[in-house]
Amino acid sequence: MRTVRLLLLALGATAATYGGWLLLPQLGATLPWLIAGPLLHDVLVAPLVGLVGLVLGRLVTDRPRRAWITAGLLASATLLLIAVPLLWRPPSAPPNPGLPDRNYPLGLAAGLTVVWAVVAVALVVGTVGRRVRDRRVSRP
Amino acid sequence: MNLEPRVPTPEDFPGPSHSPLVAARLGLWLGVAFGLCFVTGLLSHFIQHPPGWFTWPTRPVNLYRVTQGVHVLSGIAAVPLLLGKLWSVYPRLFVRPPLRQPIRLTAHVLERVSVLVLVCAAFFELVTGLFNVAQSYPWGFFFPTAHYAVAWLVVGALLLHVAVKLPVARAALRTPLRRQQDGGEAATTGRDGRDSSERRVFLRTSAGVAGVAVLATAGVTVPWLRRVSPLAWRSASGPQGVPINRTAAAARIAVPPDWRLEIIWPGGRGTLSLAELTALPQRTAELPIACVEGWSASASWTGVPVVQLLRRLGAPTDRPVRITSLETDGLYAASTLPAAHAGDPLTLLALRINGEELSPDHGYPCRLIAPSRPGVLQTKWVARLEVLR
Repeated sequence: MRTVRLLLLALGATAATYGGWLLLPQLGATLPWLIAGPLLHDVLVAPLVGLVGLVLGRLVTDRPRRAWITAGLLASATLLLIAVPLLWRPPSAPPNPGLPDRNYPLGLAAGLTVVWAVVAVALVVGTVGRRVRDRRVSRP
Repeated sequence: MNLEPRVPTPEDFPGPSHSPLVAARLGLWLGVAFGLCFVTGLLSHFIQHPPGWFTWPTRPVNLYRVTQGVHVLSGIAAVPLLLGKLWSVYPRLFVRPPLRQPIRLTAHVLERVSVLVLVCAAFFELVTGLFNVAQSYPWGFFFPTAHYAVAWLVVGALLLHVAVKLPVARAALRTPLRRQQDGGEAATTGRDGRDSSERRVFLRTSAGVAGVAVLATAGVTVPWLRRVSPLAWRSASGPQGVPINRTAAAARIAVPPDWRLEIIWPGGRGTLSLAELTALPQRTAELPIACVEGWSASASWTGVPVVQLLRRLGAPTDRPVRITSLETDGLYAASTLPAAHAGDPLTLLALRINGEELSPDHGYPCRLIAPSRPGVLQTKWVARLEVLR
């Protein structure tokens, strides 16, 4: 394992150095975009996720139900993130009538609707299933 | 309860999703996603800037469509996986450095730096890639070179990270997620059982959300998902049935009335009018336009095979051919057909698309369409073919 790790170390350092060297001419322009990701995540996104998790834990105590709602929230957040460049086109985007050729707000709304419809069905099925099981237990 | 504000420590995050069992598995999946992105991205880079040793096959005709589709879709899948992985290891951000032990401190700082580079570069690739598929560039750098350079940073930092974490990751991957009790039965109750179940739920959710993200976008390139994917960034339709990236107006194309296709080779030259091109034997082929942005669409193209044209004029057919457009200032006003593509009978100078004469936006009077090639290299509004030495 020691050899493998040393090999990975050497390969990794070489590849990263090559990447850094390639990036050098554009380092000034890319630096803000490089730093922004971890900064936004560590200072804003992760604490927010933690907070939402804490609140959700207080509001919904049933574990399976909470798992479905969490999945719905995470899927929604991912769809929103993917949709950002489609919904928000800063003026530097080239004007070209052939480019944005779909109704993206409608697409996003449709995607979110499907996600939450699935979550709702899962919650209902889970609740009904549990009631049926409870009834069987109480009336043997 | 201590309510005084302070910087948290890793112990403040007792959630089961922060276990190495989860982080190692998410790391493995993320490694696969980024690995696919890197390999397919490298291929796309080499196709556009071929080093001497590189050759790219012309068959199957959909090859580039598939590799570039894999590139963008594995990038999409990596978005929720990266966020899940970072959430899983978030407590590690608050590990206090071993200040009094210089050697361990150095190792700690080096590892932190490599992880910072990895996270910076990973976010950068996903964010710039997402903006590029929407053809939006809200920054001051040149996307293709920056995206390529940072890809090497990701891979380098990823290999360093694996080198550092290998023992922990191996142990974690070998530990089954379903915690066994002493009797050999899977624990289902108690704290252990609950934690193990929450870990599995977290992983299942991460994988599920990655699947949702892929399904929501895969319609850009997978024909039978066209109607399913609400966030596919391009539709499959456009003028004459195929979407367009660059219109004739955007490229400021004005076809001169006396337009003639010019063909040059070492020791010879010939020209052909549109009527003469139309009079030559035509071939119809079903070929995809497959863009670097991942979207792709097939069409039926009719035109003169480049190899037949060269043969008819007596030009060599076993060499690369430079294709120049009427476009004067665009980044993709010219492209070079490698010898393999120039000699392929399916490489056409297309005059018609889906049975109709090419519209100006599709490259009237004629455009290049070759199998297994990025859309940006399928030069439109062709003015000149030059057989290279």
